[in-house]
Amino acid sequence: MRWRVERSVIPGFGITFGFATFFLGALVLLPLTALVMKGAGMDWTRFFAVVTDPRALASYRLTFGASLLAALINIVFGFIVAWTLVRYRFPGRRFIDAIIDMPFALPTAVSGLALTAVFAGNGWIGQYLEPLGIKVAYAPLGITIALTLIGMPFVVRTVQPALEELPRDVEEAAATLGASPAYTFFRVILPALAPAVLTGFTLAFARAVGEYGSITFIAGNIPYKTEITPLLIIIKLDEYDYAAAAAIGCVMLAISFVMLLAINLLQAWGRRRISGAVRR
Amino acid sequence: MSITLEQVTKRYQGQPVVNDVSLSVAEGEFFVLLGPSGSGKSTLLRAIAGLVDIDQGSISLHGNDVTHVGARQRGVGFVFQHYALFRHLTVAENIEFALRVRRMKAADRRARRAELLKLVALEGMDQRLPAQLSGGQQQRVAVARALAHKPQVLLLDEPFGALDAKIREELRWTIRSVQRELGITTVLVTHDQEEAFALADRIGVMNLGRLLEVGVPRDLYARPATRFVATFLGAANLLLAQQGPEGIRFGSTPLDATMRQPLSAGREHEVVTVLRPEELELAAQREQLSSSYIGRATVEELQFTGAMERLRLRLLDNQNAVQTSAGNGAEGRIEATRTQPERRALPLAIGDTVTLGARRMHVLPTPLSSFVVYGTDDAATLELAQAPLLTTLAARMKTRVATCTGAPGCTPAAMPGVAVTAATAGATTHAAELLRTGANEVLLLNAATDVPQQICMYWMDEAARHATLAVAASLLRHLPAEAVCIAVAPAGRRDPRRGQALRALLDARSEARAAHALETRTELVPGEAPQALVDYLATQPSPLLVLGSADIAAAQGALEHLAARLPALPVMLVYREARH
Repeated sequence: MRWRVERSVIPGFGITFGFATFFLGALVLLPLTALVMKGAGMDWTRFFAVVTDPRALASYRLTFGASLLAALINIVFGFIVAWTLVRYRFPGRRFIDAIIDMPFALPTAVSGLALTAVFAGNGWIGQYLEPLGIKVAYAPLGITIALTLIGMPFVVRTVQPALEELPRDVEEAAATLGASPAYTFFRVILPALAPAVLTGFTLAFARAVGEYGSITFIAGNIPYKTEITPLLIIIKLDEYDYAAAAAIGCVMLAISFVMLLAINLLQAWGRRRISGAVRR
Repeated sequence: MSITLEQVTKRYQGQPVVNDVSLSVAEGEFFVLLGPSGSGKSTLLRAIAGLVDIDQGSISLHGNDVTHVGARQRGVGFVFQHYALFRHLTVAENIEFALRVRRMKAADRRARRAELLKLVALEGMDQRLPAQLSGGQQQRVAVARALAHKPQVLLLDEPFGALDAKIREELRWTIRSVQRELGITTVLVTHDQEEAFALADRIGVMNLGRLLEVGVPRDLYARPATRFVATFLGAANLLLAQQGPEGIRFGSTPLDATMRQPLSAGREHEVVTVLRPEELELAAQREQLSSSYIGRATVEELQFTGAMERLRLRLLDNQNAVQTSAGNGAEGRIEATRTQPERRALPLAIGDTVTLGARRMHVLPTPLSSFVVYGTDDAATLELAQAPLLTTLAARMKTRVATCTGAPGCTPAAMPGVAVTAATAGATTHAAELLRTGANEVLLLNAATDVPQQICMYWMDEAARHATLAVAASLLRHLPAEAVCIAVAPAGRRDPRRGQALRALLDARSEARAAHALETRTELVPGEAPQALVDYLATQPSPLLVLGSADIAAAQGALEHLAARLPALPVMLVYREARH
């Protein structure tokens, strides 16, 4: 990789590059390093014992499993919402468009409270689901619903602009070439939007992994069953076991980093393919 | 016939964007649809491809009615203005798209792709992505992609619109040679007349949703039938001249002109002539002219354009008789172009006075030349002249609106053109008076009359049919309205008059089609004229009635009946004396 400096309106490559590295270093890398140091403070056997404790393992499974599921649900429904907002004109469109951002602005504890009110055994929806044997509040299903709610705007807001820029004549071209609507959707529209969908997925997933506020209300926090990793860390902190909290934090960090890196690489490859950034 | 359109109409929010278009494109023909933006040409092309549903009419491809068949099944090749390539697919995958959809074997696909890339001169570009190609190359890929499944029809929607001049020229040659090689029926849409001339076997000119004229480029340029085609295909000066028994005069000088029409109703009348800038001859003295004299003019502007010199001249007399294609406010100005040898023979500077001659002129077969508004006082006359319908017509026809307020000598005999008068009480007597004193057409309206949505034609005598259709056709070329021919017959099925009326309608429709390239709807109204006419018109959204008559007294009677019941109805009265 060579240095490539282009003239631009913001002066000085030196200053901007310096600022970017300082920002990343001071606000992101430094605290993370401190976290790792803290975790490394204990010896390896204890570290290993803490992070592979069955209760911790169950929480990883729940946190990453529910986050992944929520992000997957979001790319399907978020895509449909974005499609509706971009492709159709109907009364109340602006209103719905504005409502999408609500989960961004709401304190997550409030969302959790609201969801619990709706899905608890005596809630608006919960009272009808409970007799059917479907338990939402205080169950993994409730966690997934909460994570879906807070992740939705990320998908909608990344897919929406990409969809708006997608030329309509591309669909018409596919039709004149004999492609069915389904073929056109899966072979023409979806590949063109894949980078945006992937970005939305990444953001929703990352947000879900770190989510804490809304879950504590709806999850019920039963160890081994509905206890998420961020909560486990809080519990360790309450017990003044800083080293154990840091150790579990390190594991979360490592898993998240690997997953985000993988998605980013995939995305970079896809984007290069479409924009043709690499010229031969 | 490869493509046949029958009375195709497409409306957006009630407004027709494609208005009653019928057209046949022959096998292997290169047809160009030419028109300004908003003329409906792209919508028509998209309707042929099945990308737009039509409201009325039918579309056939190779004899099969495909009006209700989707784009996917029609299988035409379509090239979009902005290429519409699949950006995530390589050139090879783009071209093979239609073949993959049809589940063709990989080896066959590869062979076909190689063939197509050779055709558009893009060999070796298979693995590139669209983003790695220039605009011209992308459009070549789009052409190859559209041809992959061997469509029988190729449609191109302003394919050169997004390209710069040099590439445009080059791609034009490519497309023409590809079309010749494959012998594929092609329709191309453009707003560039130069492009149309360079490519077309035949051109169809569209404006305001109507297909105005269809013809070979050379014929359309030399003998346009409408003002719009005359001025849209190249530059043109429109001159109002008089047609008398001895021929055509401009002011007091007789002219040589192509296409003489018989004098209608035996009266002298005004005609519109087309004078191309390159057909003007400039000389210092009248004796030096080798063509027929028009008048003297001063040079107002000079422009050097390389091969040609362009001049703007102001006529010293007969000023109000001239309009150029340059449009509004150019009254009295004539545009001329000269070759460099001509320029060297008579160098001119701004302010010089020259003598003009016309080498070749063409008379437009339109009965509507200019308008004269008649009123009792200045204020009322001016107000009437500002009626939206009249100003729209005058602007689109690039013609003048004169006024006439009771001054002596101010009669239709002295003031040629369509007489315009207010549709007030007693107007019918005035209209009859205007007809008696020499007017051939009288337009009755009031100051608020707007552009109609429908132009209804009704003639009281068969003798007036020809003129009624001609006037209505001329109006319809300048207004985005629907055309309806009306006949009135008693309701009884067995009444022999019903058969007669039906035959008359069919005759009129074929005459409109043959003589004016105009598609019309027909309406047989039950009852007795003129009451049946009133009943029908009362149900129509903003109609204008073109009323033909060969008898002034009968016309006056019908008009009185109509005016009493439909005071806001604009009427164009057409009078042609029956020949005995």
